[in-house]
Amino acid sequence: MASFHCSVVTPERVVLETEARFVALPAHDGEVGILPGRAPLLVALGVGRLRVQSADGEQVLLVDGGFAEMSGTKLTILTEGARRPEELDLGEAEQEFEDARELPMLTDAEFEARQRALARARAARKLAR
Amino acid sequence: MANRRVLVKRRKTARNIRKITRTMQLISTARLQKFHGRAVASKPYTEKLAELVADLTRAGAGTDHPLLAERSGSGGAAVLVVSSNRGLCGGYNSNVLRLGVEHLDHLAGEGRATDVHVVGKKGTSYFEFLGREMDRRTTDISDFPAFDQVEPIANDFLERFAAGTLDSVDVVFTRFISAGKQVPTVERLLPLAAQVADDGEAVGPTLEYEFSPEPRQLLDELLPASFRIRLFQAFVDSAVSEQVARMVAMKAATDAAGDMIKRLTQQYNRARQTSITMELLDIVGGANALS
Repeated sequence: MASFHCSVVTPERVVLETEARFVALPAHDGEVGILPGRAPLLVALGVGRLRVQSADGEQVLLVDGGFAEMSGTKLTILTEGARRPEELDLGEAEQEFEDARELPMLTDAEFEARQRALARARAARKLAR
Repeated sequence: MANRRVLVKRRKTARNIRKITRTMQLISTARLQKFHGRAVASKPYTEKLAELVADLTRAGAGTDHPLLAERSGSGGAAVLVVSSNRGLCGGYNSNVLRLGVEHLDHLAGEGRATDVHVVGKKGTSYFEFLGREMDRRTTDISDFPAFDQVEPIANDFLERFAAGTLDSVDVVFTRFISAGKQVPTVERLLPLAAQVADDGEAVGPTLEYEFSPEPRQLLDELLPASFRIRLFQAFVDSAVSEQVARMVAMKAATDAAGDMIKRLTQQYNRARQTSITMELLDIVGGANALS
């Protein structure tokens, strides 16, 4: 079966490196699915689940912003925050969500920051369950 | 004999010190290996990001971007000096701090208003000693910096640069070139212009990318990310260099203590032999007097 190389890197380490058959990534404006042979793509990421299907099953990561680059047979995902579901704690995620709700939203910038914090906490909570 | 007792005491002190310095040497050797591994692990991200920035700038996404454009250079100049929290690492701190002070004086000579941010306890106490102003100080960065610790500092610089209160951001740190070579360096991180042009040369032919969102908006996100990782790299390089410096300094101290112990042992033996000879002479002299 056709596959392509998929790597997830953060400033601190390479989180994942595998041959994938299908990858679904959380782009800034919705989920993007990638199959082998996709045309070159450079996309900004939002917050959400990254799913990587390889020969030995599916892996899920929580990604918080960053970029994905598909070129030829290589998909590189650059992100400042990538966490495995095992590293997430439901209680902590709930707390984050509550904290995010408390944020002020008087100006546009504050509103956007609050929305981002909420989205982050929601995604973490969903994955921690 | 008072002299002999003093020698024994001094030798014991030297032994104790050697024990400590040798332990510190071993610890920093182990940490160096660990830190170096982590520094290498952060390379792929840096390289890929630089590549993407180069690709995008060539795809024609405005070189007039605010983070890239050179400014008149009359506004505030931020300088971040990276030193360590701990001492006993040879000339590591003094080298980087001296360079930092030189750079600040240079900027002040050009009539720039400087904004000084000092990282590390050694740096802050040095600046205090000199009686120099520090606008910000950070002493809670761990021995090996985590990205989460550097990010707020980077974002703060970005915000002030975007607001126009800063016209440039320089970082003074110790660049790790190899285990045998670390150089105190001044690097201009903002505006990013110079580096982008350099990176652009090396990369091969570009692919026709599909961009989402538009290249210009992508650049809005890529450039700050690029700045953050560059700053992080400066911290990482400093951390690795610090361990090398400590390892070398502690090895020198251990060797010096060894030499000193050898010398003290020699002196002690000589003193002991002298006193034995003296006693023998006394006895022989006494016996001769009796007969």
